[in-house]
Amino acid sequence: MVDEKRTPPPMDRVWNFFTSVRLAIVTLIVLAATSIIGTIIEQNQPPEKYHQIYEDWAFALMDRVNLFDMYHSVWFLLMLVLFTVNLSCCTIDRFPKMLKVVRNPRTKLDENLEKTLSLSDRWKKKGSLSEWAANYAGALSSSFAKPKVTEDGGAVHLYAEAGVASRFGVYVTHLSIVIIFIGAILGNVLGFKGYVNIPEGEAVSQVPVRGGSRTQDLGFTVRCISFRLETYPSGQPKSYMSDLSVIDGGRETLRKTIVVNDPLQYKGIWFYQSSYGQTGGATAKVTVSRKDGTGMGALSLAANETVPIPGYGTVRGVNFEQNFQGNGPALQVVVEKPGQPASSFWLFQGRSDLDRQRADSLVFAFGGLSSKMYTGLQVAKDPGVNIVWLGCTLMVIGLIMAFFLSHQRVWVRLSPGTDGRVEVVLAASASRNRLAFEKKFEKILTGVKTAGQ
Amino acid sequence: MSNVILFNLTTVLFGVASGLYLGALYAKNEKIAVAGTWVCILAAVVSTAALGLRWYESYQMGIGRIPVTNLYESLVFFAWAVDLFYLVVERKYGSRTFGAFVMPIAFFTMLFAIKNDSSIQPLVPALQSYWLHAHVITCFIGYAAFAVSAGVALMYLLKARQETAKISEGIVGLLPGTKMLDDLVYRAIIWGFPFLTAGIITGAAWANYAWGTYWSWDPKETWSLIVWLVYAAFLHARITRGWHGRRAAYLSIAGFLSTVMCYLGVNLVLSGLHSYGGG
Ligand code: HEM
Repeated sequence: MVDEKRTPPPMDRVWNFFTSVRLAIVTLIVLAATSIIGTIIEQNQPPEKYHQIYEDWAFALMDRVNLFDMYHSVWFLLMLVLFTVNLSCCTIDRFPKMLKVVRNPRTKLDENLEKTLSLSDRWKKKGSLSEWAANYAGALSSSFAKPKVTEDGGAVHLYAEAGVASRFGVYVTHLSIVIIFIGAILGNVLGFKGYVNIPEGEAVSQVPVRGGSRTQDLGFTVRCISFRLETYPSGQPKSYMSDLSVIDGGRETLRKTIVVNDPLQYKGIWFYQSSYGQTGGATAKVTVSRKDGTGMGALSLAANETVPIPGYGTVRGVNFEQNFQGNGPALQVVVEKPGQPASSFWLFQGRSDLDRQRADSLVFAFGGLSSKMYTGLQVAKDPGVNIVWLGCTLMVIGLIMAFFLSHQRVWVRLSPGTDGRVEVVLAASASRNRLAFEKKFEKILTGVKTAGQ
Repeated sequence: MSNVILFNLTTVLFGVASGLYLGALYAKNEKIAVAGTWVCILAAVVSTAALGLRWYESYQMGIGRIPVTNLYESLVFFAWAVDLFYLVVERKYGSRTFGAFVMPIAFFTMLFAIKNDSSIQPLVPALQSYWLHAHVITCFIGYAAFAVSAGVALMYLLKARQETAKISEGIVGLLPGTKMLDDLVYRAIIWGFPFLTAGIITGAAWANYAWGTYWSWDPKETWSLIVWLVYAAFLHARITRGWHGRRAAYLSIAGFLSTVMCYLGVNLVLSGLHSYGGG
């Protein structure tokens, strides 16, 4: 029994532990210090890379404590949990107390309170106490805020306050951190992040999920209609863009040109322009016609690919020169017909008239090389992201409330003096920026003192 | 390019201002310090003009972008913000002795800046975002406030040592009282912290718009979080555990060192997605 009185019950001790700000400071510093590790050791690299840098025993040890993906390790997440529990308990512990103080402010300036207030002044007035009380109440209203009047025995107390919101700033800030964590967890549990390359003209309806072997069904199809790249005169990329089309339920439901920093969003899934490249080799466009001019269609020749022309033979593109014999871009083709030796000749771009002079039943026109591009897209679904933004906004608002508002309180006490005059005491306090409040105090003081004269 | 000439002139002015403030302390002559203030104001005008001109010149080159996107530009912007922040503090607190501790920060930043490539380079597509503008500006105002806080913390430590030894002679005797210095260490952080917070948030928003992830633990992001945690610890230590004076001053200096690491160290020592550093 005696023991119980000296040390608080276990539950209380647990509560005290989780509501202590000392724990908060320690957690903040430990989080900061351990976070450094992951900026020095490159995260999420292939094991071979680490083996090159570290000895085997060091690698084994570091792998054991997840230093190669530390921000997702159990111990780091546990620290974040501790941080959040600490923050929540602290807030639950203090918020009701704060609310009580704000709801039931000390409206009477008694001796004890007076002693704690460094800004105060006192004077005496002849006349009726209630008249002066009314005068001062009016003066306070005009120079500061409308006071609450309490009568107590023979004395009258005035109490006025401003900037109560400042008391809530801390709680808004702390709540915002919890909201951000909730948003982040939602995003991780319900969302996904992936990456996909789509060649021009092709479409996907699944994307590989990052950091795993899983693929994610989109529930619709995305087609890359075309890809374009713009460069600065120096050749550096200035911007690049993809024309994307969303096909849902068999028809196109959305079309958008995306660039870096301007993604496409459909059914909560976002597509971000991320990279680009050439897919496969270049293909040569060759149109075929009869001698009399009737068209036979167009061929698309990949390098060294043999393409049949029914009733004629086969064609194969074997070589390309940017400037062949000084006559511009040209394609070398090999034509094989059944039972005849293969023949090889050059086609100049845009000069089908030259090929017409070749002794053959068909005329080939080389329309130039085209290299097919692919667009690289980040694909993300994050149902928590708006909650995160809500938390971020609240955090900034909360910080401004906490730091730049100040809870200012002014008390006036009028009591009958022993000499028949009215004794007046005016005192004030501010929760923040006392230097600035001192000037305001002087103004309020003169406002009150000169009232009714 | 003429903007670079103006920035070079700014460097000289910051050097002169630092010299005047230090000289004023040494000679105990307020008139010299007043001259220092005027040089600071002139430097503010010249560097503001230089930033504007650089912006204008980028449009003339057909690139057209805000001048805060590479190492050179971020350094001169930081020095600009320190100068402005300092002038506000000097006016509010009515003491010119801070200048001797704060203006050298701006001066050495500029000296470091002019060693870097000062040409206007076009932006890679990922950096073409309004979020980037908001991100860089808020971050650097925060950094500038932390720099002022750390400079004042240093003054505090010097002054406090002298007060314990009960000497009031010499240069340090001219510094404002420890109470005022201690208050200013805190007040500068109160300005810096919301700006850093806004800087991290706008950075996250930008990353989300460009890549679809608002947080990916890349070294730069992580270091900005470290800085934020250190200052959060400072604020809590102060408000709830009454850490004032010497310990608060050490924390402020530690916070600024982590800021410098976040800003320069990550690019010079570690690697990341960010564009400064390549130079
Ligand atoms: C482990 C988590 C945390 C706990 C337990 C905690 C607890 C507290 C407590 C008890 C106070 C004092 C309230 C008062 O004066 O009545 C406070 C103040 C404050 N906290 Fe936290 N806090 C935590 C994390 C954070 C973080 C990460 C931030 C960052 C934004 C933060 C921002 C603030 C602010 C701005 C104040 C007001 C400081 C001032 O008035 O100068 N807190 N916190």
